[in-house]
Amino acid sequence: MNVLKKIQFKVDSNLQELESVLSQFNQIYDDFIPNQDWLKCKLALAEGFTNAVRHAHKELSTEIQVTIEAVLRSTTLEIYIWDLGNPFDLNQYIKEQSNNNHHWLGSGKGVAILTQIADRLEYKHIEEKGNCLLIVKEFSQGER
Amino acid sequence: MSLVVQVIKPEGILDGTKTDQFRQEINDSVNTGANAILVDFSNVTFMDSSGLGALVLSLKTIRNANAKLFICSINEQIKMLFELTSMDRVFEIFSSLEEFEQKVAKLS
Repeated sequence: MNVLKKIQFKVDSNLQELESVLSQFNQIYDDFIPNQDWLKCKLALAEGFTNAVRHAHKELSTEIQVTIEAVLRSTTLEIYIWDLGNPFDLNQYIKEQSNNNHHWLGSGKGVAILTQIADRLEYKHIEEKGNCLLIVKEFSQGER
Repeated sequence: MSLVVQVIKPEGILDGTKTDQFRQEINDSVNTGANAILVDFSNVTFMDSSGLGALVLSLKTIRNANAKLFICSINEQIKMLFELTSMDRVFEIFSSLEEFEQKVAKLS
């Protein structure tokens, strides 16, 4: 599938940056994206970004930035969130979490939301580039 | 039982940076003797899992005080978050302040 649009931006590792992250992400928006899918992509981005700040960059300076990329294709939106924290086995974490019951208490439910929204979810360590959380959302057909 | 309603109106993005303040407002409302708390979301543009977590913890606080939590005026994004997490079945949600006043209690 051809790339229709691509954006990339960097933000400080600070939860206060979420507003800026969401507003810069709007640049990838296009009219044909079903509204529910767009809202889910924004939520997934927020969860991915705040996880990077809270966990991956926990021990690092807030000046270590998080890099966000988004790629729009005719049937999907891909979101890439790059951090420079230690490698982490997301699949193992998801497996462990799925054995717990979801009570939505307090925090730590961001990953559960990510797994529900994403049609593909990967977290990979790439030598000399850091870790990349990839969220792929396929657009639903019904609303188009 | 007559309801003493306290309205809480958060603003902007309800995320991890606002949750302490939000929970403090809930605690204060419960402590002042309100037995119904209405969270009016009309000025909230976006909520993430941290905001939702704070709301769920607030529900616990409110229930422990034998009070009730009501929610009104959520936007499409918050509605989607509630549905995704099945919280739409847990919260009592009204479309607007007017609907809340018609069905539950007039605000003074």
